[in-house]
Amino acid sequence: MEILTVENLTFSYPGGAKTLDNVSFMLEEGDFAVLCGATGSGKSTLLRLCKRQLSPLGDKTGRILYKKTSIDQLTDIDAAQKIGFVMQKPEQQIVCDKVWHELAFGLENLNMPQNDIASRVAEMASYFGIESWYEKNVTELSGGQKQLLNLASVMVMDPDILILDEPTSQLDPIAAMDFIHTLRRLNRDFNLTILIVEHRLEDLIPICDKMILLDGGRLIGCDNPVKIVSRLDRTSIMAGAMPVAARVWYEIGSSGDIDCPLSVKEGRRWLEKKGFKNIKAPQEHFKNQKNINVQHTEQRFEPALAFHHVYFKYSRELPDAVNDLNFTVNKGEVFCILGGNGSGKTTTLGLAAGIYKPYSGYISVLDKKLKEYKNQSLYNNCISMLPQDVQTVFIRDTVREELKDAGVDEKMLPFDLSHLYDMHPYDLSGGQQQMVALAKVLATNPKILLMDEPTKGLDAEKKFIILNIIKKLKKTGTTFIIVTHDVEFAALCADRVALFFRGKIVSTATPERFFAENKFYTTAARRMSKGFFEEAVTADRIIEMCRKASEQAIGRRE
Amino acid sequence: MHSVDSYNPIVITVYFFAVIFVSMFCMNPILLIISLLCAVIYSVIRIKDSYKKHLYCLLLFIIVSIINPLVSHNGKTVLFVLNDSPITLEALAYGVTMAMAIIGVIYWFSLFTNIMTSDKLLYLLGSLSPKLSLIISMGIRYVNLFAQQMKKIKESQTALGLYKGENVVDRVKGNIRVFSILITWALENGITTADSMAARGYGIGKRSHFTVFTFKKKDGIMIGLVTLLLGVTIISVVLGGSSYTFYPAITIASPGIIGSCGYAAYFILSMMLIIIEVEESLKWKYLQSKI
Repeated sequence: MEILTVENLTFSYPGGAKTLDNVSFMLEEGDFAVLCGATGSGKSTLLRLCKRQLSPLGDKTGRILYKKTSIDQLTDIDAAQKIGFVMQKPEQQIVCDKVWHELAFGLENLNMPQNDIASRVAEMASYFGIESWYEKNVTELSGGQKQLLNLASVMVMDPDILILDEPTSQLDPIAAMDFIHTLRRLNRDFNLTILIVEHRLEDLIPICDKMILLDGGRLIGCDNPVKIVSRLDRTSIMAGAMPVAARVWYEIGSSGDIDCPLSVKEGRRWLEKKGFKNIKAPQEHFKNQKNINVQHTEQRFEPALAFHHVYFKYSRELPDAVNDLNFTVNKGEVFCILGGNGSGKTTTLGLAAGIYKPYSGYISVLDKKLKEYKNQSLYNNCISMLPQDVQTVFIRDTVREELKDAGVDEKMLPFDLSHLYDMHPYDLSGGQQQMVALAKVLATNPKILLMDEPTKGLDAEKKFIILNIIKKLKKTGTTFIIVTHDVEFAALCADRVALFFRGKIVSTATPERFFAENKFYTTAARRMSKGFFEEAVTADRIIEMCRKASEQAIGRRE
Repeated sequence: MHSVDSYNPIVITVYFFAVIFVSMFCMNPILLIISLLCAVIYSVIRIKDSYKKHLYCLLLFIIVSIINPLVSHNGKTVLFVLNDSPITLEALAYGVTMAMAIIGVIYWFSLFTNIMTSDKLLYLLGSLSPKLSLIISMGIRYVNLFAQQMKKIKESQTALGLYKGENVVDRVKGNIRVFSILITWALENGITTADSMAARGYGIGKRSHFTVFTFKKKDGIMIGLVTLLLGVTIISVVLGGSSYTFYPAITIASPGIIGSCGYAAYFILSMMLIIIEVEESLKWKYLQSKI
């Protein structure tokens, strides 16, 4: 049965060009639909237009129907109840201070009697596993729990269709997977219709059953994911955001009768059919690696930052956040720290930046103890930190003032910001905010740059921009310490990768070694290529090795 | 979990109102002794690790007791003469009574804040006005959110070397800047919250009010009992069954039937929390032993 129909929808913001141009598609009851498109393709606008209370102001033609009734003609209660909407920021969506109050909020608005609310809330709390934190303050919850609470407090109103706008972009990968699995369960168990916009397509595309592709406000396609992904223009920005299996397939095997693989599982089957097996990394690759290693040993004499038996805790009663931490980062190196939530990664950056003080052990920065840096000298030409929440970097009303304030020399920046000068930093998109914050951080001319989750909430395209900036700066001799959850990103940019666990580093290796040795904590590319290609941890590497292998095979046959 | 916590917040409030009302407005030494003793005993049972507070209260008790005889020289029994002014037994007794009143009330209030957690208070306000309760709930939420964000901004600015802490002027300047951007941040993020509220149907009509607290039969009984005991105490005090004077000499009328009833009623009232606690734990032990 049709549940949501969009007919010839055209929309433009006041005084602007068309954000959506003649978009038509239809969702059946029980569809799990993913809406994709590059930044500025009108995804969020389309989602918001489907929820009456959040519809932006502007010129709208065409119709949006919920079960054959135009959403403008729905009663207030139906419009609020039948179409659920979950947004991006977990923190700011929460209205009340207690978990139970938040769950009840929507039902209170519907003027439901106390007893009915009690049973509905209880039911939802047990379905989502919220029982154990039912009476907690919302401030005590983790990011993943907060977003789950947001989902539950929408689901408690019993919607028929759930619309989600980048719900996992602020979550770490494990919480994000949990969230996506919860969505999948809702979809399977209750035939709930889901319409979602998300960057994390690697996990989402294999489980969805409809993909809607937008480009510049126009609908490119609305079909099952295999068809959409395989028909995608390979040079477009969106192609870079597709799952690893699909990206390899674009380059290697698009001809032939095999459908485009989407998941790691399908990717492995496809590689098997293609006949790849146990292909060793080419010799010159190893040589390069050895060279790198040699360089490393040479550079080991020049440590940029070192932790010596560092212990730290936030207060006397709490357990150690960092305990007996030892590591050295060499000059000009990109050092990535991976690890679960609460393992002490962010605390480590705080220690290195001098925000927190260890209670035992010491940290040396450029051959001098951290304590010996007096009067802000640590932050001059030495260390700088890009925090996780980049909004906290901004304290002015325009980008121009912001940069002037920090004393940024615009000519020295490795990227251009001139088109953003007159905007308020809070009005920028996530990626732009990241760039402006980075410009501010670079103003002090740091030799060591600490970055906390630089790719959080960014789409594939923006990640590449950040990646290129890091590579550029690395050439000028800047040392990077990057804390990230994003294994794919670490595989692309790091010289060395470390795994953090319970307050200390448990293993350190080059990304190839690191991800090749890890079975679970590794990139999708590695999971897909394991057993077929040695030490291939990125999609590009798989593609390269595939090509080599096919060339050799052809050579042998000739 | 103490068994007192299972009572509805309204009951708790009525109870504390009754006890505190009597010890604030009747300067009768016997009533005050009852009130103070019960409060101290129950706070020892309920609030662990509070020896510092007890010490502090004892100190306060002594100071308040001493001040009155130093200032007031009424009364006919002179204990000794200090700097040509007589220190009288009556003035000292009055001082001690005043100290009991003050310390007793302090103890009762500290118990009240311990039992009435923020969500119980909120429930109480909510039963007066659901709108007010939502506003307060959001308020608490936002204060927490602000404090968190403020800390984050300060840390980021420190790590950028922009937030200088060397002298007072710089620090004040820095704080003002942080505060002003915090307001912008609040307005910006308020939009998300408003959207989230609208999306869940806020403002489409009359709201109902949900709470985790319910009014049970035992709550009703408890309220009845408290009102009854308070009534008896007040009537007895008003009828003069427990009259007393400090000056010129201490006289406490022998209580008589009305007075005894009053004292007994107030004793039971003050002991109520302890009785509930003891009764529950005995019941529990009994049930356990049966198994």
